[in-house]
Amino acid sequence: MEQHPMKVGDIACGRSGDKADTLDLTVVAVGQDEYARLAEFLTVDRVQAELNRVMPGTVQRYALPGLLALKFVIQNALPGGVYASLHAGLHWQKAAIYLLLDMDMET
Amino acid sequence: MSGTDDRIVRTIACGAGFAGDRTDPAVKLAESGQVDTIVLECLAERTLVPGLRARRRDPGSGADSRIERRLTPILQSPASSKCRIISNFGAANPVSGAQRIERLAKDLGRSGMRIAAAIGDDVRHLADRIAWDGSIEGDLLGAHAYLGTNGIVEAVENQADIIVTGRTADSALFAGDLLPYLDGSEDAFAGAIAVGHLLECSGQLTGGNFEAPGVPPLGSSDLANLGYPIARVFEDGTAEITVVDGSPALINRLTCTLQLLYEVHDPSAYITPDLTVDFSGVSIEEIGPSRVRVSGARAADRPARLKVSGFVDRPGAISDVEIAFAGRGALDRARRAADVLRLRLAHLPEQDLRIDLVGLNSVLGAASRAINSEPPEVRVHVSAKFDDAGDAQLAEDEVYALTLSGPAGGCGVRSEQRPRLEVVNGYIDRELVKPSVEWSNIP
Repeated sequence: MEQHPMKVGDIACGRSGDKADTLDLTVVAVGQDEYARLAEFLTVDRVQAELNRVMPGTVQRYALPGLLALKFVIQNALPGGVYASLHAGLHWQKAAIYLLLDMDMET
Repeated sequence: MSGTDDRIVRTIACGAGFAGDRTDPAVKLAESGQVDTIVLECLAERTLVPGLRARRRDPGSGADSRIERRLTPILQSPASSKCRIISNFGAANPVSGAQRIERLAKDLGRSGMRIAAAIGDDVRHLADRIAWDGSIEGDLLGAHAYLGTNGIVEAVENQADIIVTGRTADSALFAGDLLPYLDGSEDAFAGAIAVGHLLECSGQLTGGNFEAPGVPPLGSSDLANLGYPIARVFEDGTAEITVVDGSPALINRLTCTLQLLYEVHDPSAYITPDLTVDFSGVSIEEIGPSRVRVSGARAADRPARLKVSGFVDRPGAISDVEIAFAGRGALDRARRAADVLRLRLAHLPEQDLRIDLVGLNSVLGAASRAINSEPPEVRVHVSAKFDDAGDAQLAEDEVYALTLSGPAGGCGVRSEQRPRLEVVNGYIDRELVKPSVEWSNIP
């Protein structure tokens, strides 16, 4: 089988949420070592560069070592809220977590 | 049953996580005999809107249209008489909801029921005292403050069988039932809010909307019959999260952590009307198959203002239209169709028009992964915003015109128009909001 570079989604799961125009993304590592790698890799700058490919907004990051989780909150990412979006179908932002889970991690 | 631990003071369940959620899980919960209270969380940020529109036509209406369909199978089950039911399906008019439930209960021959409507969330009359985050220009359909536990606690202390609310914090629907049974400490209150936040999205805690590396996902039969979550709560607000014995589910550290942090911003300051809660020290221990213990939520603060959702109908409409292309060269034909539409709709402001290829880039846009094979079919999707609702027909007409004057084989057109409704957040001083309870008693 073809080797692919390790992706965030190989060592973590995640979920998108939203409140009005704010998007929030949660990433939870499968273990302690994986959390350490994610915390190092998923910097605010890297996450923001990835998300800004499809949405505006400034990323805030919260690290939760006790829960092996990282939380990213992006204000103004969904202008007008979900219902005002021109995406093909409502709630497209539920897929936004895959922007992070599909990121290649450096080896 | 594993819940025989006599330190458990209350067992509470989530029987629905949104307005259109399945109706059978709540019946299973009621019939299990393992649950004291079933919460039906049926009101999202925007699902108040149908109620607001209905109430505008008829001031006596405005509650969730699904109340009868949802409650009939529960109330028909004799076991349900042992469960309290709490729901925000009062939507824009909890009193109207309570009256409908009273009629339904009488029709079903249920006697001796006490139905409470927790009201006070409607703050439209205070619109000019609300600090809005954005413009409320347009038609302000409604303004509703997020209430906390006050009305629910009052109803619980007066032995309500069914409690109907409007806009109430989702976690408060659960915490309001638990509070009278807890030790009175602020941290126990924080724990009750954590339980509410974990349970409020039904199947999202028990293995729905979940995939993780190394964890076999639930199969379709398990997902079709997914058990909805129950919490066995201790006096100090800590809890065991599980499902009714034998229900298909996946509950572990990952599912619980994802839900704990879902739609939370700063995890050390989860703001609810009653209390700001610190989730950063929460501990989630796996104590059995699909059974976890949650502890460590801490009370941090009490917000001075309550959040308000304002619902504004902007003038005009949004039009959504799709056309399909299938067979050889489908992608090329779809791309050319999209280009034709860009030329035909070039007069619209750039930010008011979006054209995507469904199956290629309609969800993640420019960040979609590249395709390296020829797809058997592609749909072209157009969304456009119009200031004048009458103009919204234009997008649909332009797409239909492609069937005669576009690339070959255009078919499968779907079209809809929707209002340009926007939710605008605001904040209001809590002293201005007056929660109260109205009762309907069935003899």
